Amino acid sequence: MEQQRPTGVEQEGLTTTETPAAPKVKAHQTPDDVIHLMEKDQTQDVDTLVPLPFPYEDWKDTPIPTLSDEQRSRFEVGPDGVSALQIPKPATEEEKEERVAQFLAGLAKLLDREDNWTFLQPLMLSLENCVKCQTCNDSCGIYTDSGRAEMYRPTFRGEVLRRIIDRYIKPGGGILPGLRGHDIKVDWNMIVNLAELSYRCTLCRRCAQACPIGVDNGLISREIRKLFSQELGIAMPELHTLGTVKQLKTGSSTGLNPAGVADVIEFAEEDIQEKAGLEVKIPFNKEGAEYLVMHNAGEFLSWPENLQAFVIILEKAGVSWTMASEPVGYDSVNYGLFYDDVQYSRIVLKHYGIAKSLGVKKILEGECGHAHKAAMPVADRLVPRDMFVPTESSLVLLEDIVMNDRIKLDPSRNDFPVTLHDPCNITRSMGIIQPQRNILKKICPQFREMTPHGVDNYCCGGGSGFAVGNSVNFPDWRTRVAGRMKFRQILNAFSDSIGPETNKYVCAPCSNCKGQLRDIIRYYEGWDRCRILYGGLVELIVNAMVDVPEGFLEWEFH
Amino acid sequence: MALLLWVWLGCTVFVLGCAWRAYRYASAPEHLRWDLYPVAHEPNAYGGSYLEEKDWWTKPRHSSLVREAVFMAEEILLLRGVWTHNRRLWWGSFPFHWGLYLMVAVTFGLAAAALGLGGQPLLLALAVVGGLGGALLAVGSVVLLYLRARDPKLRPYTAPVDLMNLVLLALLGILSALVANGGMEPVAAAVADLAQARPVSASTLLATQMTVASLFLLYLPATRMVHFFSKYFTYHAVRWDDRPREAGSALDRRLRAALDFGVDWSAEHVRTGKTWAEVATTLPEEKSAGE
Repeated sequence: MEQQRPTGVEQEGLTTTETPAAPKVKAHQTPDDVIHLMEKDQTQDVDTLVPLPFPYEDWKDTPIPTLSDEQRSRFEVGPDGVSALQIPKPATEEEKEERVAQFLAGLAKLLDREDNWTFLQPLMLSLENCVKCQTCNDSCGIYTDSGRAEMYRPTFRGEVLRRIIDRYIKPGGGILPGLRGHDIKVDWNMIVNLAELSYRCTLCRRCAQACPIGVDNGLISREIRKLFSQELGIAMPELHTLGTVKQLKTGSSTGLNPAGVADVIEFAEEDIQEKAGLEVKIPFNKEGAEYLVMHNAGEFLSWPENLQAFVIILEKAGVSWTMASEPVGYDSVNYGLFYDDVQYSRIVLKHYGIAKSLGVKKILEGECGHAHKAAMPVADRLVPRDMFVPTESSLVLLEDIVMNDRIKLDPSRNDFPVTLHDPCNITRSMGIIQPQRNILKKICPQFREMTPHGVDNYCCGGGSGFAVGNSVNFPDWRTRVAGRMKFRQILNAFSDSIGPETNKYVCAPCSNCKGQLRDIIRYYEGWDRCRILYGGLVELIVNAMVDVPEGFLEWEFH
Repeated sequence: MALLLWVWLGCTVFVLGCAWRAYRYASAPEHLRWDLYPVAHEPNAYGGSYLEEKDWWTKPRHSSLVREAVFMAEEILLLRGVWTHNRRLWWGSFPFHWGLYLMVAVTFGLAAAALGLGGQPLLLALAVVGGLGGALLAVGSVVLLYLRARDPKLRPYTAPVDLMNLVLLALLGILSALVANGGMEPVAAAVADLAQARPVSASTLLATQMTVASLFLLYLPATRMVHFFSKYFTYHAVRWDDRPREAGSALDRRLRAALDFGVDWSAEHVRTGKTWAEVATTLPEEKSAGE
């Protein structure tokens, strides 16, 4: 029998966006109290996390593991006991002082019109105009669902950075610092905590959307990351060493080189023939094609069905397209967007250079949110016009194909509850909202929205590279704290059919979002308890294609 | 004479200070796009952009200044964002801002009166508006002062100087209301004196009010209260700046020039001492053209 959400226990009348008050969080009374947070161990207590709705009233979170003594002897942790960066411990006090001096030198560069021309104006505006009204606070899912932990307040990182700038960088910083609110002492511990806390914000910019003045605390977090990366060489390893550095060296952050991609493609062609009965040779380096299709290469390894579904749709719709075999050209990932303008620029220019050399008419961004933003609006100001190739979202092309009946579809094949997760980079940062909805409304009879959605969506908790952050205890924090709001939203969206009798699908047209959804559904046992599956948009389209045998979508959690 | 100099000093520092802050923002280099949706000039109420269109670069844009103006009017006049996301603060912030708006309006009205425009009806209207503005400013400042001092989410982020500012503005509001209550003729006369750089003839109450107002003007440009104009930049130059780059445009030229800027970042993967163009087109182990 279908398990229904009982009436009268709807989280005491709370909607998804309303968050219960934190049960155990201490109120900080003075500016000094807040800054001293940076000096204390504030390990996240899972009992302060916001409760989950039906059927998870009895859910007990396991604590976020603490670091072993051996780990603590090797690298630093953030004020919440979590390590995203694995910053090596300096051997001596002198080394610490040297690193602090480097940090302050980098801070001056962050405010320099040449060193930071890329974001100086928005950064200045955000640093100098925040009135600290805290209007943005409850827009942040990490802050609210942590139980409103002070260190996750959207304004906290900016406040610390602002005080350091006022005290150490601006002229006259030593004059009455207490009266003016920037009495702060920078030491190694302080900058370690600031670096770590810049990786407790997913850069989703929901707080910026709520700010009446237009201050962007997400950008401040990003700029803090940039200062640490570009000056001190400190960054999340999965973004830098295992991310952009590996991508520029081997061709992909997954480590896939051209030979590896060829294997993936061969496998995909076989799978397409088996599943769809379609004999296809995936085009590579086809000069003059209309589209150069760029996928997040993570799809090739973790969700090859996404690549296959794209191939089936594009071939059946008669689109002229190609992929690129040159290193970096087959991976749309650009983690530089999240932490480092230099690495970002190098990858963007590689992408556009390859597209230009192939003579394609357009670049098509596959289902990857940050790749959309990196290659479209942000790159628009970076790529010289003689290198430029117009770039389009795959969601727009797919809408054209589906809504104009360029492929035959049978929506009854998708007659199960479907909800849509909006990737922040595609919606809030680019305003691509409706194409994906038009498609889902046409092919999924039981489509329903999350609350809120569209430009007001919540991040999955894996944004800004968090989804690939898998070291030490960071993934434990990511699932329990950063991903909690999204899991609550999903449960609420499926509240009419939440039991395991009904298969349900969370559509997330973004590779990193899917990685995070996989991890939160696994942690919260969403597949076993509720039969909640996640996947992309193209899989749903192919699942409804009349020309493809039924059952493209496999109801197996992976 | 001292009052005349003080008020002129306050006005001059205010104008020059604000101009300097605005110049800093306006003259900052073109940054990479960082738009945030919904963008008010786009036609789609749900927050959609032109990137939703197939071959968007070939399509005409449908940008609307009216929609921007309506959004801004709601934001400035009703403080819509604070109402939506921070209702408790709105009860202090709304009268506070309207108090300031009305007092600015009275200032312009007094300038007109000093020029001999409007006659008694104008002075009467200014007395009413000035009294209301002063009262609203005082009430708003007191409410904000209370919240800043007591609210656990505001207190830790409030410096002593912020509290002092609100005390001063509460005082300014009270003084302004009292001055307005006595009629605006002497105020208009004092404004005329100021405009003609004559020693100001003013009662103790009016002189105090003018002294406090000038003190406020003197330090305002150094504070976050410049958001009354910097908000133009945060919205129009960042959030709503969705201009695509067109070859040969002024934007294109400025962005090309930025690629010649020097890079001094010190991390190993950055090649310090090069230009942005050189750094972006080579990896640390590679040599750039000409090396």
